[in-house]
Amino acid sequence: MMNKYIKFIFIPSLILLFYFFFPLQIFLIGNETTFVSILFICFAIEYFIDKARNGEQIYMRPIAAIKAMEEAVGRATEMGKPVLYVPGISSLDQIDTISGLIILGHVAGMTAEYEANLHVPVCVPIVMETAKETCKEAYLKKGRPDLYRDDMVHYVTDDQFAYAAGVNGIILREKPAAIFFQGKFYAESLLLAETGNSIGAIQIAGTGSSSQIPFFVTACDYTLIGEEFYAASAYLSGSPEMLGCIKGQDYIKVGCIILIITVFMCSVLNSYGYINFDISSLFRISVIK
Amino acid sequence: MKRKIAYFLVVFIGFLTLLGHFISYPPLNNFIDNDATQWFDIISGFAAFLGVINLLQLHLNKVANKRSNWKFSIFTLVSFIVMIIFGFIYNGSNVAMGPHLKEEGSAFYWMFHNIYLPLGATMFALLAFFVASASYRAFKIRNFEATLLLISGIFLMIGRVPIGQLVPWWMSLEIYIFLLFAIIASRFKEKKTMLYSMIGTMIFMPLLILFFNLSDLGIFKIPEFQEWIMAVPATAGSRAIMIGIALGTIAQSYRIITGRERSILGD
Repeated sequence: MMNKYIKFIFIPSLILLFYFFFPLQIFLIGNETTFVSILFICFAIEYFIDKARNGEQIYMRPIAAIKAMEEAVGRATEMGKPVLYVPGISSLDQIDTISGLIILGHVAGMTAEYEANLHVPVCVPIVMETAKETCKEAYLKKGRPDLYRDDMVHYVTDDQFAYAAGVNGIILREKPAAIFFQGKFYAESLLLAETGNSIGAIQIAGTGSSSQIPFFVTACDYTLIGEEFYAASAYLSGSPEMLGCIKGQDYIKVGCIILIITVFMCSVLNSYGYINFDISSLFRISVIK
Repeated sequence: MKRKIAYFLVVFIGFLTLLGHFISYPPLNNFIDNDATQWFDIISGFAAFLGVINLLQLHLNKVANKRSNWKFSIFTLVSFIVMIIFGFIYNGSNVAMGPHLKEEGSAFYWMFHNIYLPLGATMFALLAFFVASASYRAFKIRNFEATLLLISGIFLMIGRVPIGQLVPWWMSLEIYIFLLFAIIASRFKEKKTMLYSMIGTMIFMPLLILFFNLSDLGIFKIPEFQEWIMAVPATAGSRAIMIGIALGTIAQSYRIITGRERSILGD
Protein backbone atom coordinates (compact mmCIF):
# COMPACT_ATOMS: atom_id res chain seq x y z
CA MET A 1 0.00 0.00 0.00
CA MET A 2 2.81 2.36 1.00
CA ASN A 3 4.57 1.59 -2.27
CA LYS A 4 1.42 2.61 -4.16
CA TYR A 5 1.27 5.97 -2.41
CA ILE A 6 4.92 6.59 -3.22
CA LYS A 7 4.51 5.50 -6.83
CA PHE A 8 1.26 7.23 -7.74
CA ILE A 9 1.11 10.26 -5.45
CA PHE A 10 4.61 11.10 -4.23
CA ILE A 11 6.50 10.68 -7.52
CA PRO A 12 4.06 12.71 -9.70
CA SER A 13 3.90 15.43 -7.02
CA LEU A 14 7.70 15.53 -6.91
CA ILE A 15 7.87 15.83 -10.71
CA LEU A 16 5.33 18.67 -10.63
CA LEU A 17 7.24 20.48 -7.87
CA PHE A 18 10.45 20.05 -9.83
CA TYR A 19 8.77 21.30 -13.04
CA PHE A 20 7.17 24.39 -11.53
CA PHE A 21 9.67 25.43 -8.84
CA PHE A 22 13.07 24.47 -10.24
CA PRO A 23 15.18 27.64 -9.94
CA LEU A 24 16.97 27.29 -13.28
CA GLN A 25 15.06 27.96 -16.50
CA ILE A 26 15.37 24.51 -18.10
CA PHE A 27 11.75 24.00 -19.14
CA LEU A 28 10.03 25.54 -22.16
CA ILE A 29 7.49 28.23 -21.26
CA GLY A 30 3.92 27.77 -22.49
CA ASN A 31 3.72 23.98 -22.31
CA GLU A 32 2.57 23.73 -18.68
CA THR A 33 -0.98 22.54 -19.44
CA THR A 34 0.30 19.90 -21.85
CA PHE A 35 2.90 18.72 -19.34
CA VAL A 36 0.45 18.41 -16.45
CA SER A 37 -2.14 16.64 -18.66
CA ILE A 38 0.39 14.14 -20.03
CA LEU A 39 1.82 13.48 -16.56
CA PHE A 40 -1.64 12.93 -15.08
CA ILE A 41 -2.75 10.64 -17.94
CA CYS A 42 0.46 8.57 -17.86
CA PHE A 43 0.28 8.00 -14.10
CA ALA A 44 -3.46 7.18 -14.25
CA ILE A 45 -2.75 4.58 -16.97
CA GLU A 46 0.18 3.23 -14.97
CA TYR A 47 -2.06 2.91 -11.90
CA PHE A 48 -4.56 0.73 -13.75
CA ILE A 49 -1.79 -1.31 -15.36
CA ASP A 50 -0.46 -1.93 -11.85
CA LYS A 51 -3.93 -2.98 -10.67
CA ALA A 52 -4.30 -5.38 -13.60
CA ARG A 53 -0.83 -6.81 -12.99
CA ASN A 54 -1.79 -7.54 -9.38
CA GLY A 55 -4.52 -9.82 -10.63
CA GLU A 56 -7.56 -7.56 -10.33
CA GLN A 57 -10.35 -8.59 -12.69
CA ILE A 58 -10.87 -6.02 -15.41
CA TYR A 59 -14.14 -5.83 -17.30
CA MET A 60 -13.86 -4.68 -20.86
CA ARG A 61 -16.96 -3.65 -22.73
CA PRO A 62 -17.31 -5.75 -25.88
CA ILE A 63 -16.38 -3.92 -29.10
CA ALA A 64 -18.29 -5.42 -32.03
CA ALA A 65 -15.64 -4.56 -34.64
CA ILE A 66 -12.89 -6.36 -32.72
CA LYS A 67 -15.04 -9.41 -32.14
CA ALA A 68 -15.90 -9.46 -35.86
CA MET A 69 -12.23 -9.58 -36.94
CA GLU A 70 -11.83 -13.28 -36.28
CA GLU A 71 -15.25 -14.03 -37.77
CA ALA A 72 -14.28 -12.16 -40.94
CA VAL A 73 -11.05 -14.15 -41.30
CA GLY A 74 -12.98 -17.37 -40.62
CA ARG A 75 -15.54 -16.46 -43.26
CA ALA A 76 -12.79 -15.78 -45.81
CA THR A 77 -11.26 -19.18 -45.03
CA GLU A 78 -14.59 -20.96 -45.47
CA MET A 79 -15.22 -19.20 -48.78
CA GLY A 80 -11.67 -19.88 -49.98
CA LYS A 81 -11.17 -16.19 -50.70
CA PRO A 82 -8.33 -13.91 -49.59
CA VAL A 83 -8.27 -11.39 -46.75
CA LEU A 84 -7.28 -7.88 -47.85
CA TYR A 85 -5.57 -5.57 -45.37
CA VAL A 86 -5.12 -1.88 -46.24
CA PRO A 87 -2.83 -0.05 -43.75
CA GLY A 88 -3.69 3.48 -44.94
CA ILE A 89 -1.64 5.88 -47.04
CA SER A 90 0.56 7.55 -44.43
CA SER A 91 4.09 6.82 -43.38
CA LEU A 92 5.44 5.55 -40.08
CA ASP A 93 5.55 9.05 -38.58
CA GLN A 94 1.79 8.77 -37.98
CA ILE A 95 0.53 6.92 -34.92
CA ASP A 96 -2.44 5.66 -36.99
CA THR A 97 -0.10 3.78 -39.32
CA ILE A 98 1.72 2.25 -36.36
CA SER A 99 -1.61 1.20 -34.83
CA GLY A 100 -2.67 -0.22 -38.19
CA LEU A 101 0.53 -2.27 -38.37
CA ILE A 102 0.07 -3.55 -34.83
CA ILE A 103 -3.45 -4.73 -35.72
CA LEU A 104 -1.99 -6.25 -38.91
CA GLY A 105 0.19 -8.43 -36.69
CA HIS A 106 -2.92 -9.82 -34.99
CA VAL A 107 -4.81 -10.28 -38.27
CA ALA A 108 -1.78 -12.02 -39.82
CA GLY A 109 -1.76 -14.33 -36.78
CA MET A 110 -5.39 -15.19 -37.47
CA THR A 111 -4.79 -15.84 -41.17
CA ALA A 112 -1.82 -18.05 -40.25
CA GLU A 113 -4.00 -20.01 -37.84
CA TYR A 114 -6.90 -20.37 -40.29
CA GLU A 115 -4.60 -20.89 -43.29
CA ALA A 116 -6.30 -18.05 -45.12
CA ASN A 117 -4.64 -16.06 -47.87
CA LEU A 118 -3.54 -12.57 -46.76
CA HIS A 119 -2.94 -9.69 -49.16
CA VAL A 120 -1.46 -6.37 -48.01
CA PRO A 121 -1.04 -3.68 -50.70
CA VAL A 122 1.03 -0.81 -49.30
CA CYS A 123 1.38 2.84 -50.28
CA VAL A 124 4.67 3.77 -48.57
CA PRO A 125 7.86 1.71 -49.04
CA ILE A 126 9.01 2.04 -45.41
CA VAL A 127 5.58 0.82 -44.25
CA MET A 128 5.95 -2.12 -46.65
CA GLU A 129 9.19 -3.21 -45.00
CA THR A 130 7.65 -2.94 -41.51
CA ALA A 131 4.47 -4.73 -42.59
CA LYS A 132 6.56 -7.54 -44.09
CA GLU A 133 8.44 -8.02 -40.82
CA THR A 134 5.19 -7.86 -38.82
CA CYS A 135 3.53 -10.53 -40.98
CA LYS A 136 6.63 -12.73 -41.03
CA GLU A 137 6.89 -12.63 -37.21
CA ALA A 138 3.14 -13.30 -36.82
CA TYR A 139 3.35 -16.39 -39.06
CA LEU A 140 6.47 -17.55 -37.23
CA LYS A 141 4.81 -17.05 -33.85
CA LYS A 142 1.85 -19.15 -34.90
CA GLY A 143 4.22 -21.90 -36.03
CA ARG A 144 3.34 -21.51 -39.71
CA PRO A 145 6.36 -19.85 -41.38
CA ASP A 146 5.73 -22.13 -44.38
CA LEU A 147 2.53 -20.20 -45.17
CA TYR A 148 4.27 -16.84 -45.31
CA ARG A 149 4.99 -15.57 -48.81
CA ASP A 150 7.20 -12.59 -49.57
CA ASP A 151 4.71 -11.15 -52.06
CA MET A 152 1.95 -11.17 -49.43
CA VAL A 153 2.90 -7.57 -48.62
CA HIS A 154 3.71 -5.52 -51.69
CA TYR A 155 4.20 -1.96 -52.80
CA VAL A 156 1.66 -0.33 -55.12
CA THR A 157 2.45 3.38 -55.43
CA ASP A 158 3.04 6.51 -53.37
CA ASP A 159 0.28 8.55 -55.06
CA GLN A 160 -3.02 8.74 -53.18
CA PHE A 161 -5.49 8.19 -56.03
CA ALA A 162 -3.23 5.87 -58.00
CA TYR A 163 -3.07 3.74 -54.84
CA ALA A 164 -6.87 3.87 -54.53
CA ALA A 165 -7.16 2.76 -58.17
CA GLY A 166 -4.66 -0.06 -57.60
CA VAL A 167 -6.40 -1.35 -54.47
CA ASN A 168 -9.83 -1.04 -56.12
CA GLY A 169 -8.46 -3.15 -58.98
CA ILE A 170 -7.26 -5.79 -56.50
CA ILE A 171 -10.68 -5.76 -54.77
CA LEU A 172 -12.58 -6.19 -58.05
CA ARG A 173 -10.29 -8.88 -59.47
CA GLU A 174 -9.63 -10.97 -56.36
CA LYS A 175 -12.98 -10.38 -54.63
CA PRO A 176 -11.70 -10.81 -51.06
CA ALA A 177 -14.22 -12.02 -48.49
CA ALA A 178 -12.88 -9.78 -45.73
CA ILE A 179 -11.35 -6.33 -46.03
CA PHE A 180 -9.61 -4.45 -43.23
CA PHE A 181 -9.01 -0.71 -43.50
CA GLN A 182 -6.81 0.14 -40.53
CA GLY A 183 -4.62 3.23 -40.60
CA LYS A 184 -4.57 6.82 -41.70
CA PHE A 185 -6.93 7.59 -44.58
CA TYR A 186 -7.88 10.69 -46.50
CA ALA A 187 -10.24 11.23 -49.46
CA GLU A 188 -9.60 7.73 -50.84
CA SER A 189 -11.42 6.13 -47.89
CA LEU A 190 -14.84 6.22 -49.55
CA LEU A 191 -13.47 5.07 -52.93
CA LEU A 192 -12.01 1.98 -51.26
CA ALA A 193 -14.87 1.25 -48.87
CA GLU A 194 -17.60 1.62 -51.51
CA THR A 195 -15.77 -0.70 -53.91
CA GLY A 196 -15.41 -3.25 -51.10
CA ASN A 197 -19.09 -2.86 -50.31
CA SER A 198 -20.04 -3.45 -53.95
CA ILE A 199 -18.45 -6.93 -53.93
CA GLY A 200 -20.16 -7.89 -50.65
CA ALA A 201 -17.04 -8.32 -48.53
CA ILE A 202 -17.15 -8.00 -44.75
CA GLN A 203 -15.42 -4.69 -44.11
CA ILE A 204 -13.85 -3.65 -40.82
CA ALA A 205 -12.45 -0.15 -40.68
CA GLY A 206 -10.50 1.78 -38.07
CA THR A 207 -8.94 5.20 -38.33
CA GLY A 208 -7.95 8.20 -36.30
CA SER A 209 -8.91 10.58 -39.13
CA SER A 210 -12.10 12.06 -37.71
CA SER A 211 -13.17 13.41 -41.12
CA GLN A 212 -13.12 9.91 -42.67
CA ILE A 213 -15.04 8.12 -39.90
CA PRO A 214 -18.50 9.00 -41.37
CA PHE A 215 -17.53 7.48 -44.73
CA PHE A 216 -16.37 4.26 -43.10
CA VAL A 217 -19.46 4.09 -40.89
CA THR A 218 -21.62 4.37 -44.01
CA ALA A 219 -19.79 1.92 -46.23
CA CYS A 220 -18.31 -0.65 -43.80
CA ASP A 221 -19.92 -3.33 -41.65
CA TYR A 222 -17.91 -2.42 -38.54
CA THR A 223 -15.92 0.68 -37.68
CA LEU A 224 -13.49 1.31 -34.84
CA ILE A 225 -14.26 4.89 -33.89
CA GLY A 226 -11.75 7.21 -32.24
CA GLU A 227 -9.94 5.65 -29.31
CA GLU A 228 -11.34 2.17 -30.08
CA PHE A 229 -8.90 2.04 -32.99
CA TYR A 230 -5.91 2.64 -30.71
CA ALA A 231 -7.26 0.26 -28.08
CA ALA A 232 -7.82 -2.56 -30.60
CA SER A 233 -4.30 -3.96 -30.43
CA ALA A 234 -4.35 -3.98 -26.61
CA TYR A 235 -7.78 -5.58 -26.69
CA LEU A 236 -6.66 -8.25 -29.16
CA SER A 237 -3.51 -9.06 -27.18
CA GLY A 238 -5.66 -9.83 -24.12
CA SER A 239 -2.75 -9.34 -21.70
CA PRO A 240 -3.78 -7.88 -18.31
CA GLU A 241 -1.23 -5.07 -18.65
CA MET A 242 -2.74 -3.90 -21.92
CA LEU A 243 -6.30 -4.22 -20.66
CA GLY A 244 -5.36 -2.19 -17.59
CA CYS A 245 -4.10 0.49 -19.95
CA ILE A 246 -7.49 0.64 -21.71
CA LYS A 247 -9.26 0.81 -18.36
CA GLY A 248 -7.06 3.73 -17.35
CA GLN A 249 -7.88 5.43 -20.63
CA ASP A 250 -11.62 4.97 -19.97
CA TYR A 251 -11.33 6.52 -16.50
CA ILE A 252 -9.47 9.49 -17.96
CA LYS A 253 -12.34 9.89 -20.40
CA VAL A 254 -14.77 10.01 -17.47
CA GLY A 255 -12.48 12.62 -15.88
CA CYS A 256 -12.59 14.66 -19.11
CA ILE A 257 -16.40 14.57 -19.12
CA ILE A 258 -16.54 15.77 -15.49
CA LEU A 259 -13.99 18.48 -16.30
CA ILE A 260 -15.97 19.68 -19.33
CA ILE A 261 -19.17 19.88 -17.25
CA THR A 262 -17.33 21.73 -14.44
CA VAL A 263 -15.73 24.22 -16.85
CA PHE A 264 -19.11 24.75 -18.56
CA MET A 265 -20.89 25.40 -15.25
CA CYS A 266 -18.14 27.75 -14.03
CA SER A 267 -18.15 29.63 -17.34
CA VAL A 268 -21.93 30.09 -17.14
CA LEU A 269 -21.67 31.33 -13.54
CA ASN A 270 -18.79 33.62 -14.55
CA SER A 271 -20.75 35.10 -17.46
CA TYR A 272 -23.66 35.92 -15.11
CA GLY A 273 -21.26 37.46 -12.59
CA TYR A 274 -21.70 34.90 -9.79
CA ILE A 275 -17.98 34.11 -9.78
CA ASN A 276 -15.17 36.44 -10.80
CA PHE A 277 -12.80 33.92 -12.32
CA ASP A 278 -12.63 32.74 -15.94
CA ILE A 279 -11.78 29.04 -15.50
CA SER A 280 -11.41 28.48 -19.24
CA SER A 281 -8.24 30.63 -19.19
CA LEU A 282 -6.51 27.72 -17.41
CA PHE A 283 -7.10 25.42 -20.35
CA ARG A 284 -6.04 27.62 -23.24
CA ILE A 285 -4.09 25.52 -25.71
CA SER A 286 -0.41 26.37 -25.65
CA VAL A 287 1.73 26.12 -28.73
CA ILE A 288 4.91 24.11 -28.35
CA LYS A 289 7.84 26.28 -29.44
CA MET B 1 19.73 -9.62 -28.27
CA LYS B 2 18.73 -8.12 -31.63
CA ARG B 3 15.21 -7.55 -30.34
CA LYS B 4 16.42 -6.05 -27.04
CA ILE B 5 18.42 -3.47 -28.97
CA ALA B 6 15.29 -2.60 -30.94
CA TYR B 7 13.27 -2.16 -27.71
CA PHE B 8 16.02 -0.06 -26.20
CA LEU B 9 16.10 2.22 -29.26
CA VAL B 10 12.30 2.62 -29.26
CA VAL B 11 12.18 3.47 -25.54
CA PHE B 12 15.23 5.75 -25.63
CA ILE B 13 14.24 7.74 -28.71
CA GLY B 14 10.60 7.86 -27.52
CA PHE B 15 11.49 9.43 -24.16
CA LEU B 16 14.08 11.70 -25.76
CA THR B 17 11.48 13.05 -28.20
CA LEU B 18 8.95 13.55 -25.41
CA LEU B 19 11.49 15.39 -23.24
CA GLY B 20 12.45 17.56 -26.18
CA HIS B 21 8.95 19.05 -26.15
CA PHE B 22 9.33 20.28 -22.56
CA ILE B 23 13.03 20.89 -21.92
CA SER B 24 14.66 24.03 -23.20
CA TYR B 25 17.99 22.66 -24.44
CA PRO B 26 18.76 23.82 -28.01
CA PRO B 27 20.76 20.73 -29.14
CA LEU B 28 17.92 18.46 -27.99
CA ASN B 29 15.23 20.71 -29.52
CA ASN B 30 17.22 20.86 -32.72
CA PHE B 31 17.56 17.08 -32.73
CA ILE B 32 13.83 16.39 -32.45
CA ASP B 33 12.78 19.24 -34.75
CA ASN B 34 15.33 18.82 -37.52
CA ASP B 35 17.84 15.96 -37.21
CA ALA B 36 15.42 13.19 -36.29
CA THR B 37 13.00 14.11 -39.07
CA GLN B 38 15.89 14.29 -41.55
CA TRP B 39 17.07 10.83 -40.46
CA PHE B 40 13.55 9.58 -41.04
CA ASP B 41 13.50 11.15 -44.52
CA ILE B 42 16.86 9.54 -45.38
CA ILE B 43 15.68 6.10 -44.27
CA SER B 44 12.40 6.60 -46.20
CA GLY B 45 14.43 7.62 -49.26
CA PHE B 46 16.36 4.35 -49.17
CA ALA B 47 13.14 2.44 -48.60
CA ALA B 48 11.79 3.97 -51.84
CA PHE B 49 14.33 1.85 -53.76
CA LEU B 50 13.04 -1.24 -51.96
CA GLY B 51 9.52 -0.29 -53.02
CA VAL B 52 10.52 0.07 -56.65
CA ILE B 53 12.42 -3.24 -56.58
CA ASN B 54 9.44 -4.94 -54.95
CA LEU B 55 7.08 -3.56 -57.59
CA LEU B 56 9.29 -4.73 -60.46
CA GLN B 57 9.91 -8.12 -58.89
CA LEU B 58 6.22 -8.73 -58.29
CA HIS B 59 5.06 -7.81 -61.77
CA LEU B 60 7.97 -9.48 -63.60
CA ASN B 61 7.22 -12.67 -61.69
CA LYS B 62 3.57 -12.39 -62.59
CA VAL B 63 4.34 -11.98 -66.29
CA ALA B 64 7.06 -14.66 -66.33
CA ASN B 65 4.84 -17.24 -64.62
CA LYS B 66 1.69 -16.08 -66.43
CA ARG B 67 -0.20 -15.89 -63.18
CA SER B 68 -3.81 -14.72 -63.15
CA ASN B 69 -4.33 -11.20 -64.61
CA TRP B 70 -0.71 -11.12 -65.76
CA LYS B 71 -1.67 -8.92 -68.73
CA PHE B 72 -2.30 -5.96 -66.42
CA SER B 73 1.25 -6.29 -65.13
CA ILE B 74 2.57 -5.62 -68.64
CA PHE B 75 0.89 -2.19 -68.54
CA THR B 76 2.48 -1.46 -65.16
CA LEU B 77 5.92 -2.48 -66.39
CA VAL B 78 5.65 -0.57 -69.66
CA SER B 79 4.43 2.59 -67.88
CA PHE B 80 7.25 2.24 -65.36
CA ILE B 81 9.91 1.91 -68.07
CA VAL B 82 8.49 4.78 -70.15
CA MET B 83 8.57 7.18 -67.17
CA ILE B 84 12.11 6.03 -66.31
CA ILE B 85 13.21 6.76 -69.90
CA PHE B 86 11.57 10.22 -69.89
CA GLY B 87 12.93 10.97 -66.44
CA PHE B 88 16.52 9.77 -66.79
CA ILE B 89 17.39 9.23 -70.47
CA TYR B 90 15.24 11.17 -72.96
CA ASN B 91 14.72 14.88 -72.30
CA GLY B 92 12.82 16.39 -75.26
CA SER B 93 13.48 20.01 -74.20
CA ASN B 94 16.38 22.49 -74.26
CA VAL B 95 17.00 22.54 -70.51
CA ALA B 96 19.42 20.22 -68.69
CA MET B 97 18.43 16.82 -67.27
CA GLY B 98 16.91 17.29 -63.82
CA PRO B 99 15.29 20.71 -64.24
CA HIS B 100 13.57 19.24 -67.34
CA LEU B 101 11.07 17.53 -65.01
CA LYS B 102 9.44 20.92 -64.47
CA GLU B 103 10.02 22.29 -68.00
CA GLU B 104 6.85 22.57 -70.06
CA GLY B 105 8.43 21.34 -73.31
CA SER B 106 9.91 18.13 -71.87
CA ALA B 107 8.44 14.71 -72.60
CA PHE B 108 8.27 13.90 -68.88
CA TYR B 109 6.25 17.06 -68.17
CA TRP B 110 3.90 16.26 -71.06
CA MET B 111 3.32 12.73 -69.79
CA PHE B 112 2.80 13.95 -66.25
CA HIS B 113 0.33 16.69 -67.15
CA ASN B 114 -1.56 14.91 -69.90
CA ILE B 115 -1.77 11.37 -68.56
CA TYR B 116 -0.91 11.16 -64.87
CA LEU B 117 -2.80 14.22 -63.58
CA PRO B 118 -6.04 13.59 -65.56
CA LEU B 119 -6.07 9.98 -64.31
CA GLY B 120 -5.72 11.20 -60.72
CA ALA B 121 -8.46 13.78 -61.27
CA THR B 122 -10.71 11.06 -62.71
CA MET B 123 -10.31 8.96 -59.58
CA PHE B 124 -11.05 11.99 -57.42
CA ALA B 125 -14.13 12.81 -59.50
CA LEU B 126 -15.45 9.29 -58.93
CA LEU B 127 -15.93 10.34 -55.30
CA ALA B 128 -19.06 12.27 -56.28
CA PHE B 129 -20.76 9.06 -57.43
CA PHE B 130 -19.55 7.10 -54.43
CA VAL B 131 -20.82 9.81 -52.08
CA ALA B 132 -24.23 9.56 -53.77
CA SER B 133 -24.41 5.76 -53.42
CA ALA B 134 -23.16 5.88 -49.81
CA SER B 135 -25.65 8.63 -48.93
CA TYR B 136 -28.49 6.64 -50.47
CA ARG B 137 -27.68 3.71 -48.19
CA ALA B 138 -27.18 5.91 -45.12
CA PHE B 139 -30.40 7.87 -45.70
CA LYS B 140 -32.65 4.79 -45.91
CA ILE B 141 -35.16 5.11 -43.07
CA ARG B 142 -34.48 2.02 -40.94
CA ASN B 143 -34.38 3.39 -37.42
CA PHE B 144 -34.53 6.64 -35.46
CA GLU B 145 -30.84 7.47 -36.01
CA ALA B 146 -31.11 6.97 -39.78
CA THR B 147 -34.22 9.18 -39.82
CA LEU B 148 -32.35 11.92 -37.95
CA LEU B 149 -29.49 11.59 -40.44
CA LEU B 150 -31.92 11.91 -43.35
CA ILE B 151 -33.59 14.99 -41.87
CA SER B 152 -30.28 16.71 -41.11
CA GLY B 153 -29.00 15.78 -44.57
CA ILE B 154 -32.05 17.29 -46.27
CA PHE B 155 -31.78 20.53 -44.28
CA LEU B 156 -28.07 20.80 -45.04
CA MET B 157 -28.62 20.20 -48.73
CA ILE B 158 -31.47 22.71 -49.02
CA GLY B 159 -29.76 25.26 -46.77
CA ARG B 160 -26.55 25.29 -48.79
CA VAL B 161 -28.11 26.01 -52.19
CA PRO B 162 -29.57 29.40 -53.25
CA ILE B 163 -33.14 28.08 -53.31
CA GLY B 164 -32.90 27.46 -49.55
CA GLN B 165 -32.95 31.22 -48.95
CA LEU B 166 -36.23 31.53 -50.84
CA VAL B 167 -38.11 29.07 -48.64
CA PRO B 168 -40.62 31.15 -46.60
CA TRP B 169 -41.04 30.72 -42.85
CA TRP B 170 -44.45 29.04 -43.12
CA MET B 171 -43.13 26.41 -45.52
CA SER B 172 -40.30 25.58 -43.08
CA LEU B 173 -42.90 25.29 -40.35
CA GLU B 174 -45.02 22.93 -42.44
CA ILE B 175 -41.90 20.82 -43.14
CA TYR B 176 -41.24 20.56 -39.38
CA ILE B 177 -44.85 19.52 -38.79
CA PHE B 178 -44.60 16.83 -41.49
CA LEU B 179 -41.38 15.53 -39.96
CA LEU B 180 -42.84 15.53 -36.47
CA PHE B 181 -45.83 13.51 -37.64
CA ALA B 182 -43.54 11.16 -39.60
CA ILE B 183 -41.74 10.39 -36.32
CA ILE B 184 -44.84 10.03 -34.14
CA ALA B 185 -47.00 8.30 -36.80
CA SER B 186 -46.62 4.88 -35.19
CA ARG B 187 -48.22 6.19 -31.96
CA PHE B 188 -51.59 6.76 -33.69
CA LYS B 189 -53.93 3.80 -33.76
CA GLU B 190 -56.09 5.20 -36.56
CA LYS B 191 -54.83 6.85 -39.72
CA LYS B 192 -57.79 9.25 -39.83
CA THR B 193 -56.99 10.63 -36.36
CA MET B 194 -53.42 11.24 -37.44
CA LEU B 195 -54.50 12.95 -40.66
CA TYR B 196 -56.96 15.27 -38.90
CA SER B 197 -54.43 16.10 -36.18
CA MET B 198 -51.80 16.90 -38.78
CA ILE B 199 -54.10 19.10 -40.86
CA GLY B 200 -55.26 20.87 -37.70
CA THR B 201 -51.68 21.51 -36.59
CA MET B 202 -50.74 22.70 -40.09
CA ILE B 203 -53.49 25.33 -39.99
CA PHE B 204 -53.30 26.26 -36.31
CA MET B 205 -49.50 26.55 -35.86
CA PRO B 206 -48.84 29.25 -38.55
CA LEU B 207 -51.67 31.34 -37.01
CA LEU B 208 -50.12 30.89 -33.58
CA ILE B 209 -46.69 31.92 -34.88
CA LEU B 210 -48.22 35.00 -36.54
CA PHE B 211 -50.13 35.90 -33.39
CA PHE B 212 -46.98 35.86 -31.26
CA ASN B 213 -44.95 37.45 -34.08
CA LEU B 214 -42.33 34.66 -34.08
CA SER B 215 -41.94 34.28 -37.83
CA ASP B 216 -38.46 35.91 -37.74
CA LEU B 217 -36.96 33.13 -35.59
CA GLY B 218 -33.82 31.53 -37.05
CA ILE B 219 -35.35 28.07 -36.90
CA PHE B 220 -37.76 29.05 -39.69
CA LYS B 221 -34.89 30.08 -41.97
CA ILE B 222 -33.37 26.92 -43.42
CA PRO B 223 -29.90 28.42 -44.17
CA GLU B 224 -29.62 29.57 -40.54
CA PHE B 225 -30.93 26.27 -39.23
CA GLN B 226 -28.38 24.27 -41.22
CA GLU B 227 -25.62 26.56 -39.93
CA TRP B 228 -26.78 25.71 -36.40
CA ILE B 229 -26.73 21.97 -37.18
CA MET B 230 -23.13 22.27 -38.38
CA ALA B 231 -21.99 24.58 -35.57
CA VAL B 232 -23.62 22.88 -32.59
CA PRO B 233 -24.60 19.15 -32.82
CA ALA B 234 -22.10 18.24 -35.56
CA THR B 235 -19.21 20.08 -33.88
CA ALA B 236 -20.09 18.61 -30.47
CA GLY B 237 -20.06 15.08 -31.92
CA SER B 238 -16.81 15.54 -33.81
CA ARG B 239 -15.09 17.10 -30.77
CA ALA B 240 -16.12 14.14 -28.63
CA ILE B 241 -14.49 11.84 -31.18
CA MET B 242 -11.40 14.05 -31.29
CA ILE B 243 -11.01 13.95 -27.50
CA GLY B 244 -11.21 10.14 -27.71
CA ILE B 245 -8.60 10.11 -30.50
CA ALA B 246 -6.26 12.34 -28.48
CA LEU B 247 -6.56 10.11 -25.40
CA GLY B 248 -6.08 7.01 -27.53
CA THR B 249 -2.98 8.53 -29.14
CA ILE B 250 -1.44 9.34 -25.74
CA ALA B 251 -2.23 5.86 -24.36
CA GLN B 252 -0.91 4.11 -27.48
CA SER B 253 2.27 6.22 -27.50
CA TYR B 254 2.75 5.54 -23.78
CA ARG B 255 2.42 1.78 -24.37
CA ILE B 256 4.98 1.96 -27.18
CA ILE B 257 7.59 4.11 -25.46
CA THR B 258 7.41 2.15 -22.22
CA GLY B 259 8.06 -1.02 -24.24
CA ARG B 260 4.70 -2.62 -23.43
CA GLU B 261 3.35 -2.62 -26.98
CA ARG B 262 5.73 -4.98 -28.69
CA SER B 263 3.52 -6.36 -31.46
CA ILE B 264 5.18 -4.09 -34.01
CA LEU B 265 8.50 -5.73 -33.20
CA GLY B 266 6.99 -9.17 -33.58
CA ASP B 267 6.23 -10.04 -29.94
